[in-house]
Amino acid sequence: MDEDMIFDPSLKKKKKKKTGFDMDAALAGETGESTSVEAPAETGDVDVPEDDNLDLDNFGKKKKKKKKTFFNLEELENTLPETPPTEEPEQQEDEAVDDLDLNIDFTNARKKKKKKNIDEFVLEDDTKGEDQENADDQHGVWVGSDRDYTYDELLERVFDIMREKNPSMVSGKKQKFIMRPPQVVRIGTKKTSFANFTEICKTLHRQPKHLLDFLLAELGTSGSVDGNSQLIIKGRFQQKQIENVLRRYIKEYVTCHTCRSPDTILQKDTRLFFLQCETCGSRCSVASIKSGFQAVTGKRAAIRAKNV
Amino acid sequence: MSIQNLNTFDPFADAIKSSEDDVQDGLVHVRIQQRNGRKTLTTVQGLSSEYDLKKIVRACKKEFACNGTVVEHSEYGEVLQLQGDQRENICQWLIKSGLVKPEQLKVHGF
Ligand SMILES: [Zn+2]
Repeated sequence: MDEDMIFDPSLKKKKKKKTGFDMDAALAGETGESTSVEAPAETGDVDVPEDDNLDLDNFGKKKKKKKKTFFNLEELENTLPETPPTEEPEQQEDEAVDDLDLNIDFTNARKKKKKKNIDEFVLEDDTKGEDQENADDQHGVWVGSDRDYTYDELLERVFDIMREKNPSMVSGKKQKFIMRPPQVVRIGTKKTSFANFTEICKTLHRQPKHLLDFLLAELGTSGSVDGNSQLIIKGRFQQKQIENVLRRYIKEYVTCHTCRSPDTILQKDTRLFFLQCETCGSRCSVASIKSGFQAVTGKRAAIRAKNV
Repeated sequence: MSIQNLNTFDPFADAIKSSEDDVQDGLVHVRIQQRNGRKTLTTVQGLSSEYDLKKIVRACKKEFACNGTVVEHSEYGEVLQLQGDQRENICQWLIKSGLVKPEQLKVHGF
């Protein structure tokens, strides 16, 4: 993972350097070779608008660049500043893909992306010390034109400034959130074992009791942790079903609702649980876990017999 | 079958409800439970008591071609029970009929 991180940005950096001199030439000339090298490594950089070449160069968004040159290389050369309408749908598409990633992958796709950018900055600061030049470039983006800035541009800009001014935040974001999938095995016909339940609790830094309550409430069943620290659940459940519930748990009780960082603490305050983020400091209340209504599902005769 | 008369929506129903009893959080909880074997059961808890749940269940049974009933619970009030995994169906139906707003729905389960 780390190797990836180091490897990727360096590629970008190289690219950035190249394009730094003359972006027109860079765009027109070298895109062919550079994109062919870097295309596979790209996961999806969405937030940079595509109508501004300077931006692209600054932040090293190769995908955008690639696409652009791919679709209207000539047009680009002729009428540089105004190309956005043709690419609007494409961007949205990208965004959709990104969202999907976010849902599927336990490791947050959006964050990954951010991290890459961060690394870029860090790397540059360390190795080249061309901080100033960088800053100049950045200002150039805004000084040179009188067009309206897009929301994405402004957002990117404010995040870049934040990262620049808060190196600690940057390093905090570097830690990844990797979780092993739940190991789910059927026991007989009526029970399911969630073998690495305790391990997952540790990974998430949550009390087993809390996750247990959530799982059982969501699955509408009963269960307990046995001597081998595996969770035995009544009923038949598949791995992907458990994973689904886990994902919802993480979304509600582990990752910060503001910045999505998993570096959070769950505190109980009077009757409510609060999620306190160690990265951005946000604190918000989370839904309390309630089983709610439970229908009677067992054999009625047995229940009646018990009650009598 | 006229579901028309169910459509009258009281915007303050939630407020009344939540002040009435704090078990109801103004949300409609749609849950799934496993029964013996592969069979499942869908429950809908938190529908406003203003509505005639008997009528709702009758409509749903017909619409989803499943059996269903209304259960009275001391804590949770009247609860709708439908056979099988009807979560998707019931959510769409409740929204379509205007009984519940999408943001009031909370779907549980796997
Ligand atoms: Zn946060």
